[in-house]
Amino acid sequence: MQRALLATLLLAVAGGLLGTWIVLRRLAFFAHAVGTATFPGLVVAGPWGIAPPLAALGAGLGFAGLLARMTRRGATSADAATGLLLTAALALGAILASDVYRSGAGVDRLLFGTLLGLGDGDVALAGGAAVAALAGTAALGRTWLATGFDPAGAAALGVRATRGDWLLLALLAVTVVAVLPAVGALLVSTLLVVPAATARLLTGSLGGLLSAAVGLAALEGVAGLLLAYHLDLPPGPAIAVLGGGGFALAALASWLRRTR
Amino acid sequence: MTAAIEVTDLSAGYGYGAVALSDVSFSATAGQAVAVLGPNGGGKTTLFRALLGELTATTGSIHVDGRPAYVPQTERSRLDFPVGALGVALMGAYPRTPWYRRIAGRDRALARAALERVGLGDRAGTRFGALSGGQRQRVLIARALVQDAGVLLLDEPFAGVDRTSEEAIMRILDELRAEGRVLLIATHDVEQARRWDRVLCLAGGQVAYGAPAETLTNAVLEGTYGEEIVMLDCGHRAVAIQHHSHSHAH
Repeated sequence: MQRALLATLLLAVAGGLLGTWIVLRRLAFFAHAVGTATFPGLVVAGPWGIAPPLAALGAGLGFAGLLARMTRRGATSADAATGLLLTAALALGAILASDVYRSGAGVDRLLFGTLLGLGDGDVALAGGAAVAALAGTAALGRTWLATGFDPAGAAALGVRATRGDWLLLALLAVTVVAVLPAVGALLVSTLLVVPAATARLLTGSLGGLLSAAVGLAALEGVAGLLLAYHLDLPPGPAIAVLGGGGFALAALASWLRRTR
Repeated sequence: MTAAIEVTDLSAGYGYGAVALSDVSFSATAGQAVAVLGPNGGGKTTLFRALLGELTATTGSIHVDGRPAYVPQTERSRLDFPVGALGVALMGAYPRTPWYRRIAGRDRALARAALERVGLGDRAGTRFGALSGGQRQRVLIARALVQDAGVLLLDEPFAGVDRTSEEAIMRILDELRAEGRVLLIATHDVEQARRWDRVLCLAGGQVAYGAPAETLTNAVLEGTYGEEIVMLDCGHRAVAIQHHSHSHAH
């Protein structure tokens, strides 16, 4: 339980900070799809004897490469291609799990995570992701802000937009891989998108957004974990439900504030 | 402050050998404002991107004193971004702030002073997206003031701008000229182009360059706009009425 709490807090830092940039740059659907695309990689990791984080990273990068290739000529829009590849990855993973490797009950764990059964390696990975997200925000925050705010004017400000974008995607990959063991391939957005999207409804400043996203991710993560522990629920889905409820409350509060 | 810009036989394009702009030659000295006149797709943006070093010239050469500042059209920016007027003005200090440093206190003072100068000192904390179109344009000009460049490239600075902002922008641009800076002002408005020291007419290539009074003749305007323009002869000078309904290619 202590290990799970520590991992949750570390992932809240990584997911809240990175999630803020992902939501601001409108990469939320992409982040969700990268998470889902890691599923076939996770399925084959065991039978092939590959470390799961590496297998997940490989599958995620394969997804990103295919997406770039499909959208290069502009005939297929990015969101259509993302939806198509996400479905294909999920279907491929399901076939591999049910008919090729007979993964059985392990599939649930891959899809929805197992926050209460994390190993030391998973916690170390979460710590690494938290440090990377903090360092990235400190070093690249201005670049990401200028590029996202005004892509046409960013280069004239001496901002290296392309390098900043690649580093953002690399950090996104690291964070997805770190979040996977806790909440699984299907619920990556629970820690990576939902808290930041909720924070967006509550505050209008960048500093406020970053801290509120981390705070909400920690709050929802810890509350979901406790709820799961005491009521014997799966932790990933419990956090996801709390995240959804938090978003609904924030949306209601924001609507009331506007109509008053 | 002195600044200069010299462009000789410039051609530039967007890869695969497609040339968006060809044979451009002009020069401007300190204190000059140059209107860059042409239809959408005429090469105004391509010229700016080449001057900013984002596009490499396929032929010819560019000389610009220092890194130019760029003032984009406000609707190109993300209005939902969590950044205030002061935050946008502070971006002007990014070029001289290393990634591991915080923005210097001196630059914060400069950004506040720049907002005062464009008449928005009381709006420093207002979110950029909550400002009017004209106010947003003035904030982007404040950002260029903080950047303190010798050469400023302004992309349609008067498009969608209210009267108050237009007057404020005109006043600032005149002050910048008096300080010896070079201004390039992209516009598709012929009457706007007449206000400045020089006019550069672009339609894929250079149609003409010179003082507006001599340059903006019927022949030059027809060469610049082709079918898009209706000419009315009002005695001493040509008046152009443009169709705005088509050609929105960028």
